[in-house]
Amino acid sequence: MALVVALDIGGTFTDLVAFNLDNGEITQSKSSTTPYDLSVGIRNTLLKSGLPVAALDTFVHGSTVAINTAIERTGAKTALIVTQGTRDVYQIGRGNRPESYNFLFKRAEPYVARRNTYEVAERLNAAGEVLVELDEAATIEAVERIKAQGAEAVAVCCLHSWSNPDHEAKIGRILAKGFPEAFHSLSHEILREYREYERTSTTVLNAYVGPRVSRYLRDLESLLEELGFQGLLLIMQSNGGTMSPATAMRLPVATMESGPVGGIIAGAEVMRDLGISNVIAFDMGGTTAKVSLVKESEPTIAQGYYVGGEASGHPVMYPVVDIVEVGAGGGSIAWIDEVGGLKVGPRSAGGHPGPVCYGQGGTEPTVTDANLVLGRLAGDSFLGGEMPLNVEAAREAIARKIAEPLGMSVEAAAHGIIRIAIAEMSLAVQSVSIGRGHDPRDFAMVAFGGAGPLHAAEIARELHIPRLVIPRVPGHFSALGMLLSDLRHDYVRTYYKPLEACDFDALLQIFAEMREEGETLLRSEGVAAQDMSVQLYLDMRYVGQEFPIQTRIDEANLKACDREALRQAFDLVHNQRFGHQAESEQVEVVNCRLTARGKRPRVSFPPIGAVGGAAAPKMREMIASDPAQRVACPAYDRDLLIPGQIINGPACIVEYASTTILFEGDRMEVLGTGELMIHIAEAQQ
Amino acid sequence: MTSEIKIDPVTLEVLRNALPAIAADMAIDLQRTSYNMMIYEVQDFCCALLDAQGRLICQNVGGVSHFVADLGVVIRDGLDRYGADGFSAGDVIITNHQRVAGQHLNNVCVYTPCFVDGVLQGFAVVRAHWVDVGGLSTGFSAASMVVDPWMEGLQLDQIKIYEAGAPDQKALRMIRDNIRYPDAAMGDLRSQIAACRMAERRLSGIFQRYGAQTVHGAIERIFSDSEAKCRRIVSEIPDGVYEAQSFLDPDGADKSDTVPVRIKVIVSGGDMTIDLTGCSLQRKSGLNGRTLAGAYIAYKGLTAPLEAVNEGSFRALKVEIQEGNFMMAQFPAVMAGWSRMLPTVVDTILRALAPALPGTIPAAHLGTLGGSMTFFGRDPATGRDFILQTIEGGGWGGRPWEDGVNATVSVCQGDVRNAPIETLELKTPVLVRQRALRDGSGGPGKFRGGLGQITEMTSLCEGRWSASNAGRRQCAPWGLAGGGAGATSRNYMRQPDEAEFRPVDPVRVLSPPMTSVRIATAGGGGWGSPLERDPEKVLADVLDGFISLASAEADYGVRIDAAKMTIDTAATIDRRKDMQARASKN
Repeated sequence: MALVVALDIGGTFTDLVAFNLDNGEITQSKSSTTPYDLSVGIRNTLLKSGLPVAALDTFVHGSTVAINTAIERTGAKTALIVTQGTRDVYQIGRGNRPESYNFLFKRAEPYVARRNTYEVAERLNAAGEVLVELDEAATIEAVERIKAQGAEAVAVCCLHSWSNPDHEAKIGRILAKGFPEAFHSLSHEILREYREYERTSTTVLNAYVGPRVSRYLRDLESLLEELGFQGLLLIMQSNGGTMSPATAMRLPVATMESGPVGGIIAGAEVMRDLGISNVIAFDMGGTTAKVSLVKESEPTIAQGYYVGGEASGHPVMYPVVDIVEVGAGGGSIAWIDEVGGLKVGPRSAGGHPGPVCYGQGGTEPTVTDANLVLGRLAGDSFLGGEMPLNVEAAREAIARKIAEPLGMSVEAAAHGIIRIAIAEMSLAVQSVSIGRGHDPRDFAMVAFGGAGPLHAAEIARELHIPRLVIPRVPGHFSALGMLLSDLRHDYVRTYYKPLEACDFDALLQIFAEMREEGETLLRSEGVAAQDMSVQLYLDMRYVGQEFPIQTRIDEANLKACDREALRQAFDLVHNQRFGHQAESEQVEVVNCRLTARGKRPRVSFPPIGAVGGAAAPKMREMIASDPAQRVACPAYDRDLLIPGQIINGPACIVEYASTTILFEGDRMEVLGTGELMIHIAEAQQ
Repeated sequence: MTSEIKIDPVTLEVLRNALPAIAADMAIDLQRTSYNMMIYEVQDFCCALLDAQGRLICQNVGGVSHFVADLGVVIRDGLDRYGADGFSAGDVIITNHQRVAGQHLNNVCVYTPCFVDGVLQGFAVVRAHWVDVGGLSTGFSAASMVVDPWMEGLQLDQIKIYEAGAPDQKALRMIRDNIRYPDAAMGDLRSQIAACRMAERRLSGIFQRYGAQTVHGAIERIFSDSEAKCRRIVSEIPDGVYEAQSFLDPDGADKSDTVPVRIKVIVSGGDMTIDLTGCSLQRKSGLNGRTLAGAYIAYKGLTAPLEAVNEGSFRALKVEIQEGNFMMAQFPAVMAGWSRMLPTVVDTILRALAPALPGTIPAAHLGTLGGSMTFFGRDPATGRDFILQTIEGGGWGGRPWEDGVNATVSVCQGDVRNAPIETLELKTPVLVRQRALRDGSGGPGKFRGGLGQITEMTSLCEGRWSASNAGRRQCAPWGLAGGGAGATSRNYMRQPDEAEFRPVDPVRVLSPPMTSVRIATAGGGGWGSPLERDPEKVLADVLDGFISLASAEADYGVRIDAAKMTIDTAATIDRRKDMQARASKN
């Protein structure tokens, strides 16, 4: 028996999903998260699942400890060592105010106080040449003072350490000798990319969350050991890959945004198995909707983000699956603003009290309430009928809060709430596709999350996306993604030169070093040589531009010194992204990037059974495009669908944690592997 | 009026979100593909859609704030020039002429008409700061040396550089041949045109999808909703006439005189009038522009700072300003320093309103466009021309509930970022010696003013340095409610043969290698009496080095045991009593 488990700790619940790879059987369990000691919740959830812990092959863990530590500011007392003259770089940041009209703006509040920042004499130039040797005696003294002040973590960021890490490494050795009990974080070990503030911020965050994440992971390891676990423990990363606990303890900042990426990875993989490589992954849950673009089966990666929001957050220059998130989920509240505008979200009723129809005390009408009024959700089949929904309460709330003030029928108001949510989510899809130079007509959508399949057909139609896939277990898709993630490590090295002047031996050397580093790490994580692979990228731009574009390159072109091929690859992506290119402009290289992967065994579902004929649907009524009209709509039980079955819209497909809606003209086919493939009807102008 | 059309609330909401998204996406594309740091780093640009009458449908939010809602005059001037039927699909018009645009010439507007089914439905516009437009415009422009508009650079007056999709190669070559760094400018032009074209497509898509009548109706409603929101907020301010004044440093044209900024704000129900007529008349220096931005920025910040901007955002605001005012100067006034007065004007408008909004209004901020540094020349190592520019922030005023923010760009400069040290050294032959908070520069107060900043660089080859005086040396960032003023700005330079830095504001000064320039930007004013500041915060400031021990005692009345670094509580209480008594005697 091959059993793999994904365990996710959320704010309210600790969730576990296990897949039996032999028969596709799913086990799930959840229990309350125990913030005082997360391992209690983990233990409870594991025990509750009844799974034989000793028999588990793989245990993938997505932890929010790093991000929560940063946001709640409960991390280690951290000191910072920097180059003389740059003590305040971390305090000053970039001096900007993204909210330009807000004269009461907030800036990011540093995690290290100025008094805990220490300058040491040393200086390199951008070429990595030493202008001032490191004052080792002064460094030893600084470390003594840091120790005396009671720090638990130390971050180090020297100017141009991306170019030459010697001085930082020396400081690291002094720390290892003089203050070994502290958590150390050297900027060049986190990322070798220029821009000192962003690198410092990333390094400081790593140090700040380091001690707590390390303690947590050690507790987790010993807990699993105690329960008899002998398999492979992997930690989810923001880049959509996984890593060993040992690596995660050293690089906790890499786990910071791992929460939402699982579903995107699963989307890419499930679609790859269907032979579809260009995908828009759409995930809609209770509070937000998330959209990400997958191209050639690779999720799009952003090279940085802000912890705590862009307006006043902390930059982290670490790869993250590029997800656009909007405040539209099943629990998003519909409301009328002070000038009579109908709004949906971003406030959410969440799980508690939840939508009005849950009957748990919610009084604000939500997207879920609107779906219920429209007949797209049925009150008696939600969560397999375990949770009856109160249609009348939903109607009453929409009538009182929306329909009456706006002088509309309840149905028109409910329909309007959904249309506004759809429009907002469509803008998000548009921003990751059209906004980045991709035509949505060339993509297929995969929709998941509890509310995704309910809304996806309309979004797809809005943007002329021709095909929509609803995967199996859309409600547990995130967990599935954690089990499909490869081990992955990303590396960057700034190498700044015009393409014409690039020294290809030097480039190859840099890539070789990064490859060696990646493969060594993968080896230490137990990956066999034949399961390793690397991808090479150059960040390039036209001379004078600031923002480079990450361009995938072929190592053969480097070896052959084929500047023209590299340049054409860049022109092409620039044209695709921005609609213009400049063949006569010089191109320059900014960074080398390398991704090292360790392939994990494939998880795939066995084909669904084809017992007997197709089951007859139950009939219900729903409101589709015209709020004044209820149309007859057959409701199918997903568990009873058979391969090859064709269903034409309007129809709905009901399963335990989700409902898929088809509209007139949409045509659905049940694939042999169980996914629902929907051909979207063209929009009526 | 088209506003009679009834729009269903759902379509209205969809369009309310979809239209600003176009301007936001224009901004992203422009920034990502531009060729000069004034666009990609300083975000000194604005992107907008205007309707066929030149009314603002949407504009990107973020970036430089003093461009807010100022493109209507440019489009209306183009409509006067060519007539409503004088545009064809595929036209691209370029303009920066000060007769109408009224800004420094580096701010180049590029716009395209947007046709849907053969009907002109609007214009897509990108105004962006080019690194050079000839004359003395390099970088931030050399305002103090410019004596007439032609000396500043090229005046481009509503020129069609593309007619129905065909480029006018002669006009383009004329521009190219008369500016420095033409590759950068032509690259930026390409980016501006691409952003306009993208917006045309998106706007057309919306018209086709919803129909012209619906879109027009929705736009009217969006305008009136924005107006109504602003009125509601203004109606909560007590009615009254509020006044304040301040001044700018003498501008060189007439050395005896400071430049007055006198503001009157009249609040009556939901209406607000900002009267700028008491401000200086047109100057003989470059301190002139044609702009309502001082009033608009203050109003926007007070009413709806986080919401999208459109024609309705300022309909409930009346700005009184006469032709010939230094912010409504008439061509051929010199406008090279067109926006330098704006941070002070905004500060002064807010100060006028402080009695009406005592819990909201902060003390004054750095009050200038910040510490700008420019260094340009030809790098002997590469043989290429280079230009270095960075804008460093200063201190913001203490707020009625918290300290002012340190080292941040002015109220006019939104998402403007300083250039990273590593970027500067990677791209240009300089060494950055220091980038630091300026200790002791924050105005004392119950809530201290934010600190200014010190940045020092040394050039490694010959080149020209500018670190211009942004003003407000004599009128320091003031405190409010008993708070003290922030420190004023200073610039310094040291040539290799000099032992010491000397205070100077270099403007294009040809300098040998190893010349150092240091700028120190202003601190913010304090809010409330420093004697009411929590002594623990005073101690924390001393420990962090933000204020000195001496200042803790002299300004805040807090006595700290220097050996133990603890507060001497009894001595502090006595000293504060003394200081209080002395203050009330005076």
